[in-house]
Amino acid sequence: MLIPNIENRITLGIVAFVTTMVLLGWAAINEGGRMVALEDTFHARAIEQGASLFAANCTRCHGEDGRGRENFGPALNSPYFFGHDFFPEITDQITRLTTEQVALTAERIRPSVAADRATEIDARLAEIETRINELNAERNPQLQAAIDKGYNPQSPIRLNSVGWGGTLHAYVYTTLEHGRPASISYWPNGPMVAWSQTAGGPLRSDQLVDIADYILNWDKGDNWTLEDLFAVRQFPKVPCDPSNPLSCGIAPAGEPPVGSDVNAALTAIAALTGDAARGDQLYHGQVRSGTDNALPCAACHQAEVNGVGPMTAGTWTRAESLHDGDPALAGYTPEFYLVEAILLPGNYVVPNFSNAMQAGLGDLMTPQDLADIVAYLKTQTQ
Amino acid sequence: MSVLPFPSFLDDVKEKGVKKAVFELVDESVERLTAGMNIQDIREALRGEAASRKPNPRLQPHADGFWLHMRPSYFHADMTGLYPTFRLGWLSTYFVFFETITGMLLMIWYTPSPLVAYQNMVDIVTRVPMGQLVRDLHRLGAEAMVLIVALHMVRTFFTGSYKKPRQFTWFTGLILLLITGFLSFSGYLLPWDQLALWAVTIGASMIEATPPAVVGENLNLLVRGGPDIGANGLLRFYLLHVLLLPALLFVFTGVHYYKVIIHGHSLPPRKENIGEDTAKRVPLDKRVYFIPDILTSEMMWVAVTTLILVVLCIWFYDAPLEHHADPQITPLGTTAPWYFLWLQGALKLGDKVFWGLIFPGILLGILAVWPYLDLTPSRRYADRRIVITLFLILISFTTYLSYMGLAEFGVNTSADAEILFEMTFPPAHNHMGKILPVPYSQLVPGMYTTAQIAAEEHGEDIGAALDAFNQDVDTRVVAETGTGELTTTEAIVAAELTVDHLSTSSLNFAPIPADAPELHHAMELFYQKFLTEKASNELLNPWGGVVITQHQEGLKRIDVIVSWDEVVIENGFPVLDENGEPIPVLDANGNPIRRSNITHLFIHEDGGYFSL
Repeated sequence: MLIPNIENRITLGIVAFVTTMVLLGWAAINEGGRMVALEDTFHARAIEQGASLFAANCTRCHGEDGRGRENFGPALNSPYFFGHDFFPEITDQITRLTTEQVALTAERIRPSVAADRATEIDARLAEIETRINELNAERNPQLQAAIDKGYNPQSPIRLNSVGWGGTLHAYVYTTLEHGRPASISYWPNGPMVAWSQTAGGPLRSDQLVDIADYILNWDKGDNWTLEDLFAVRQFPKVPCDPSNPLSCGIAPAGEPPVGSDVNAALTAIAALTGDAARGDQLYHGQVRSGTDNALPCAACHQAEVNGVGPMTAGTWTRAESLHDGDPALAGYTPEFYLVEAILLPGNYVVPNFSNAMQAGLGDLMTPQDLADIVAYLKTQTQ
Repeated sequence: MSVLPFPSFLDDVKEKGVKKAVFELVDESVERLTAGMNIQDIREALRGEAASRKPNPRLQPHADGFWLHMRPSYFHADMTGLYPTFRLGWLSTYFVFFETITGMLLMIWYTPSPLVAYQNMVDIVTRVPMGQLVRDLHRLGAEAMVLIVALHMVRTFFTGSYKKPRQFTWFTGLILLLITGFLSFSGYLLPWDQLALWAVTIGASMIEATPPAVVGENLNLLVRGGPDIGANGLLRFYLLHVLLLPALLFVFTGVHYYKVIIHGHSLPPRKENIGEDTAKRVPLDKRVYFIPDILTSEMMWVAVTTLILVVLCIWFYDAPLEHHADPQITPLGTTAPWYFLWLQGALKLGDKVFWGLIFPGILLGILAVWPYLDLTPSRRYADRRIVITLFLILISFTTYLSYMGLAEFGVNTSADAEILFEMTFPPAHNHMGKILPVPYSQLVPGMYTTAQIAAEEHGEDIGAALDAFNQDVDTRVVAETGTGELTTTEAIVAAELTVDHLSTSSLNFAPIPADAPELHHAMELFYQKFLTEKASNELLNPWGGVVITQHQEGLKRIDVIVSWDEVVIENGFPVLDENGEPIPVLDANGNPIRRSNITHLFIHEDGGYFSL
């Protein structure tokens, strides 16, 4: 026997066991720091892997330094992408003034507005406009080099521009995973394609995480400088609706649209003759409008009542009665009501429905289109 | 009185008092749990005293208990020393349980899916308290187990213990060795990193060689779960690793142990004749009882071995975890696990079917039936010279095959690709590219060249040498492009080096900063790569360059360049002239044709390579 004495065997065994337990305890005490350090190491490795993948797959459009390539792809290494606003107070003030401006404009247009209130509103609107101009004059010249490349100083945060409620990491990952199929309509050299294998691309999900980690490593937090902003070669574009060229910043092919001024529109269609049959086709998207758009009215307003929009049948009956004399519509004419409902749908929402109607429809139709639709709706009695 | 047909505990308390009643209850429970030994018996045994009552209570657990019925109640004194067993059999058993326990702990955190397996591993080592330690223990234990089991077999062969009546014990032992190897190998794939994927791919490709083709292909499909190892393959290896192979292991361990009881332990060769066994014929004065002597000895071995493993895993060993498995990137220098290197080496000898299947098949077949072939009547070393010599030759041959299995041996890659790989490869098999261990702070942005090291070797002035080198790279015409334009090394390298990320578009090599000794050391290693026979024959007038740029906050990009004059190469090997010198390839104007090969990598300041 290696150790002939039983006591020595037991002693050695116990010493070894106790030492093992002490060592395990010692290791346990140090686990917290070790885990943090190792997690940093793996995060660093992920960034390195992401850098190699980015260099191999992404630089053609986003540039070696991530500052974008003109007409190919937007900058990711930019204060805009990471949501750094250089003039937060000014942005905030203009946002509040603009909100007030919209509310006052909507109020001003109502036939029921009293004369002295109208004067008050006009004065305030003029004041707001002056103030906005002042604030812009204070800020914009300092950002001119970026504005020339398409930077919108009033919308300095990418995630807000696109209405993304999650984290930037998730935004990058999702974009990598699925690409931006519709971006072909605003990037002349092709869209952002899907990169994940699940969506038909070449990369695995862990590789997408690596790339996202690498991209987020460009973040400078509070240390972004205007030089970084000016070094951007190409700013991101806000996604647009390909069926509405205006939203993509492209002038529409057809005639000028009617816009959103209800009184001007009423004056314009008074001089025209509405064609109810064409209005019917426009309403149901069967012909394109004068601005070369398909109108989406019938998507929500259908023959039967549904939860999204009031039914088409009986529109004129309800307009004529001004919704059984709803006090909110005091002073309205039925025509005014119809045109306002189309051009400024948020001004009056029919009881029991939500404010879900698409704004800006006036940009999708000419005065003649509007006249035709009004003529069609006038046939909808019940 | 109790309503029970026997006195209850309360009756005992009334009759004997609390203290005595409780003691008797405990004493009785201990006797039941140990299947025969009460507290006094245990105390006497651990003190090394003789048993005070008869029949000897220390034999009772062997007769009545489950666990000890698998162990003899006494050993022969002549085999309880370190020699002849070296305790290898007991250690093998120890590792079976050690691996089972650590493995079950790891299973809690692991999902066998390529989508999450690697992240699971990262989580185990970064977010699970003690997770890395348990993983290290499991991995080191697996390597140790293969080694211990193999040594156990080698010992058994040398002492001739496989001979009658223990032939079948040997056979089950060989099966256990195979199962151990496959257990270790199937566990290799589970981390789903590059090391795992490629080591297993190599192993599984041998299965594909099984003739005829239809069998090989289908066996391959069966094991891998598809043409390549993917989700199905990972699941199959996982199930092999945690279900099938452990089940087989426990079954054969049971058989193996039972045979030891039946035939007893073999004694040193000179003390036991063929056909005898120690199971029932151990003289009284030679008996060493399991309780307490063998038991305390075995527990001591368990405690000491565990301590050694824990010390190794805390301070000296970390189980490797390389980059995520990528079927599209085959790392240069992939090898099978070390215990299968002999097979990989054998495959390099020639025919895949013969060396990959028939040869190991014959080898294992001979080993399996060897006890039935070797009928020589003596176990003494002196009488078995030929057999022992043959076995030593077999061990030497296997070792040599293992050496041939190493990546360095017999794989022909072009010298420039090999050098770039050796400078930049990611951590693998506990090695990594020479650039990686340079501390982040010493990766000073700039351009450096091995021409500086060459100048230092020749004792030249570094500044002047670099000026001349930059001048040469910049201006000397080295080839004519197809369009009649003359070109320089600068133009060739700059065109290949994607210069967008460099602030300057021209190459301008500077001296390595004095406060970057590790970078200097890496450049020296880079320079030495050009001095090997292979490199000096394939690469004429070579130089290496390293371009370091600050890429992001905390992230540097390192471009590594190899530039050389092209030489005549036939069938992958350079053609040498009568002086043994390589022959340069010249263009129409008699200029050498300059070639370059460039790769790059990124290093993050928290990458931690230099602290590994």
